[in-house]
Amino acid sequence: MTQEIDAATRAAIEKAAQRRIQAIVEEAGNPNHFGAWTLFKREFLRFWRMSRQTILSPVITTLLYFLVFGYSLGGRLRDIDGVPYIDFLVPGLVMLGVISNAFMNSSFSLFISKIHGVLVDLLVSPLSYFQIMFGYVASSILRAMIIGGAIWGVAALMGASAWFNIPLSLLMLVLTALVFALLGLIVAILAEDFDHINLVPSFLITPLTFLGGVFYSIKMLPSPWDTVSRFNPILYMVNGLRYAMTGHSDVPYWQGLVCLVALSFILGAIVLWLLRTGYKLRD
Amino acid sequence: MSTASKKAPLLHARGVTKRYKSLTAVDHVDLDIETGEIFALLGPNGAGKTTFIGCVAGLVAGFGGSISIAGFDVVRDYQVTRRLIGLVPQELNQDVFFNVRDVVAIQGGYFGVRPDDPRIDALLESFSLGDKRDANTRWLSGGMKRRLMICKALVHDPVLLFLDEPTAGVDVELREELWEYVLNLRARGTTIVLTTHYLEEAERLADRIGILHKGRLRRVDSRADLLESFGRSVIEVALSSPMTTPTREKLRALPGVLDATDLSVTIDALVGDANAILEVIIASSARIDTVRTHRSSLEEIFRDIITQEDAMDASHKEADAEGEGRA
Repeated sequence: MTQEIDAATRAAIEKAAQRRIQAIVEEAGNPNHFGAWTLFKREFLRFWRMSRQTILSPVITTLLYFLVFGYSLGGRLRDIDGVPYIDFLVPGLVMLGVISNAFMNSSFSLFISKIHGVLVDLLVSPLSYFQIMFGYVASSILRAMIIGGAIWGVAALMGASAWFNIPLSLLMLVLTALVFALLGLIVAILAEDFDHINLVPSFLITPLTFLGGVFYSIKMLPSPWDTVSRFNPILYMVNGLRYAMTGHSDVPYWQGLVCLVALSFILGAIVLWLLRTGYKLRD
Repeated sequence: MSTASKKAPLLHARGVTKRYKSLTAVDHVDLDIETGEIFALLGPNGAGKTTFIGCVAGLVAGFGGSISIAGFDVVRDYQVTRRLIGLVPQELNQDVFFNVRDVVAIQGGYFGVRPDDPRIDALLESFSLGDKRDANTRWLSGGMKRRLMICKALVHDPVLLFLDEPTAGVDVELREELWEYVLNLRARGTTIVLTTHYLEEAERLADRIGILHKGRLRRVDSRADLLESFGRSVIEVALSSPMTTPTREKLRALPGVLDATDLSVTIDALVGDANAILEVIIASSARIDTVRTHRSSLEEIFRDIITQEDAMDASHKEADAEGEGRA
């Protein structure tokens, strides 16, 4: 079967190769938007095809909080700062859903690609570092927004009113999802097993979210805990959204925005740096 | 080769070095691969083959030296070089969330290939995956997973294809099919670099062979030259009646006699004078049963080179140690 190639055949092969190389080089001159779109679509389909697990289940869990806290505590608390407790609760719970699902989506998806070896397929592709980040982050934001929107909508059906400033609410939600999707990517890149992925939600995100005023106003806390709470960045996010949804907040809403924008830039820079150096991915 | 070597090589690697803490996985590798060649990179496990390929394909960052494909640097111009390259990795992988066709379409999509491109279905057909297109990749057999990985590597029509142990754990049928496919790919201008444990594969396909050992490229030669310069032609003489000890001693003293036992004599055909040796046997009481000639296979040559290189490494180490001792 071994074939010795004569000069004429070799010349023909060379020519065919040169033609193809030229075509590829020309094509590589265009920005590969379709490549980035493909990664986004893949990531979207990954969670969408399992939507019972990835969408429905978190929505139901969060709504259970709404029922339990809203109706049991709501009866006693009535209102906080003039906001009915049931309305007060909506931004907190929407935030809870958005934060945990944005983080879960990007961290889980990237990490499982690493474990199953399919990340290699992405790493050999011509996608830029930014495009890889975009694909994972945009799909995670989409999932978080679907969940957040569902919680918001169902809460409204159950009698809550949280429509003070819809565009600002959406902005706060998208930025929050962005921050936690980026954090998820960082954790997935650094993680060596599933335990590492669960460490951050269990010991950082969940406690900070619950202590960040999801269910209460920090004004209700005794000293020094009201002051300590102010070091929790999630407090600013929850309150920023609470302002956008109800018009009331423990801290000025712009502080939440500043916090989100700053964290987006910092975490985004870290993700790009990790992807560029190939740390733990291209060893 | 003489005409091709004047042109710029398709792959041009100089001083490629990758270190992991104390281990140097790839050590100053210089390698040129010409357009349209089939190049086999051979070496024992852990020789650095996969790491070297990883440096070229973008799976290994932070290496020293430089690598270019068709004049484009694999680090600086990665968006061009990764389109030029296709890689079938050694490790089987599976995307459990998607079916076979989706997986190939997604991979193509990263390179700008549209999901309705007829190339996708044509590839699946060529690798007998047409009837599995809707199956989840989780349920594929090992051989089918390997086929799927080959489809993924080819979907963007690369000009430089790396096959890292493509036939490991694959049945004979696929092996033959793949070899034929490789030759067809080359005919339309694809350059192929393969690593393999089946030396038969390299012997049948490769135009040139590089031997990598402990991270260093020890030999690069055309298959024919490698077989000629390292290959031995051996004559094995089997006897029907045993030789006497003096005859055996006499034979052993002759140049080119590799071994002489009671009932057999092994002769290096290039070194030994076969006539003289056979005459000694005939003159003795022993009777010749059969005479067979045997050319050493690439496998034997490969083993010889590795053993030689190990011996050289050891003597260098000794010399270094002595030098240090004196200092």
